[in-house]
Amino acid sequence: MSALASRLDRLYEFDREPVTPDKLQSGAKFAGLFAGEHVAATEFVIGAFFVLHGVLAKDLILGLLFGNLLAVLSWTFICAPIAVRTRLTLYWYVRKIAGPGVMVIYNIANAVLYCILAGAMIAVSATAVGLTFDIKVPALSDVFPNSLGWVLIAFGLGAAFTALAILGFEKLSKFAEVCSPWIFIVFIAGALGVLPKLGVHANLDNFWQISKTKIWNGVTASGQEQFGFWHILFFAWFCNLAMHIGLSDMAILRYAKKWTYGFFTAFGMYPGHMLAWICSGIMVAGIGREMNPGRMAFEAAGLAGVAGLLLAGWTTANPTLYRAGLALQAITPNWPRWKITLAAGAVTTIIACFPIVFVKLLDYVAIYGLVLMPIGAVVFAEHWIMPLFRIEQFRAEKQKLVLSWRVLVVWVGTLVICFFLPIHLYFRWLPGYVIALISYVLLRSGEKKFRKIGESNYGA
Amino acid sequence: MERKIYGLLSLVSLALCLIFSIAHFLGAIQASRFKLGFLLASIAWFVFATLWVTRPKNSTKT
Repeated sequence: MSALASRLDRLYEFDREPVTPDKLQSGAKFAGLFAGEHVAATEFVIGAFFVLHGVLAKDLILGLLFGNLLAVLSWTFICAPIAVRTRLTLYWYVRKIAGPGVMVIYNIANAVLYCILAGAMIAVSATAVGLTFDIKVPALSDVFPNSLGWVLIAFGLGAAFTALAILGFEKLSKFAEVCSPWIFIVFIAGALGVLPKLGVHANLDNFWQISKTKIWNGVTASGQEQFGFWHILFFAWFCNLAMHIGLSDMAILRYAKKWTYGFFTAFGMYPGHMLAWICSGIMVAGIGREMNPGRMAFEAAGLAGVAGLLLAGWTTANPTLYRAGLALQAITPNWPRWKITLAAGAVTTIIACFPIVFVKLLDYVAIYGLVLMPIGAVVFAEHWIMPLFRIEQFRAEKQKLVLSWRVLVVWVGTLVICFFLPIHLYFRWLPGYVIALISYVLLRSGEKKFRKIGESNYGA
Repeated sequence: MERKIYGLLSLVSLALCLIFSIAHFLGAIQASRFKLGFLLASIAWFVFATLWVTRPKNSTKT
């Protein structure tokens, strides 16, 4: 057992120190990683929910085109430049900016949110396994597990997903490399399998007509609110808010040779999110608008479809668990990686038993991004705006502060304001980001300024 | 050489996955045949793609 433990300990990667040049990864690796990560089991649910929310076909296409573009630009111009200049994970950069106290709070929040997300992926995959054992899929109003069978499936899948997450980044990338092109094909094949059933002709001459009348026809399912263009645009943009604007993907992009590698996220946004959401919308229309990802995949593409749903959950839950492990490692310095990932996997597995994480997935995705967004604003301001205003950077590190109260005030204050903003949940993060940015600069502007413009650890 | 063959075979398998679904969409094959063909092509993809990515790039084996 101790030999196994020490072998696992050697899986340590450069989490706490800047990435060295010999560890930088090629663009192809990033394309594969992002493509694999963003064609997930949750795409089966998200695209289907758009149909249940009564989106019109035109609003869907335009909203997805522009929303995903904004997401790619956010990765490329906000996250990637900071990641490449610092070569640090966000967690260690936050420690320099806000002190270990804020880092502890941030990492706990981040790890919990990652675990819930991975739990949702496991829950979606569980609907595929549940189909085999005739386990009833939870209803859209369910919060708690509806059967022992559901709990057992969630536990089994959680254990399998955690085991792979322990193997680390290189292995995950390899696994995504094999799975992602095929999962992408599963979505396309599933949609193609359903289109004849919906009445679409082989020459596609009535495809748009069928789309408008039988798929994205503006009719909402019972209990679901009506979505329009702006809901779709903002959803596509904030779907990975914590990763781009919130800067979590510094953990991945710090391995990039250039900041322009941020554009590789387009492999995740267009073939990934956009196409997969359209395909899953078609698939849910094919089963009479029932929210049952397992049945959707089975009816559309048979057993291979079910396997696709399972593997889509697996390939996405794994990097999410890996990130949760990274977040927790920063606050448990004496724990080996495998033990931390195991702990995160156990929490995730318990969360996966509660169907609310997948029946309320869209709202959860919005809240997840919103909670972490203010820290992204603080880091952006610290990295780029402080040198411009000749305000000392990394004050917490230099003065050995345990906790920067300014960062905490900005974080909590922004979330409180966002909570009371009289606009839809999906739109709140944008004014929130501006509020966080301005309030942090204002709070720091009263401090002692340093002598030379651009006197910064990471250049001007 | 082995790696190239596995790479080629895996791409053919992936193409077959797509061809079965297109054939069904065009009305050339029934849904049951599409699903069976798609499953078999998928299994072939995982076998060949795994062999492909696990083989060393500069293998001297022929």
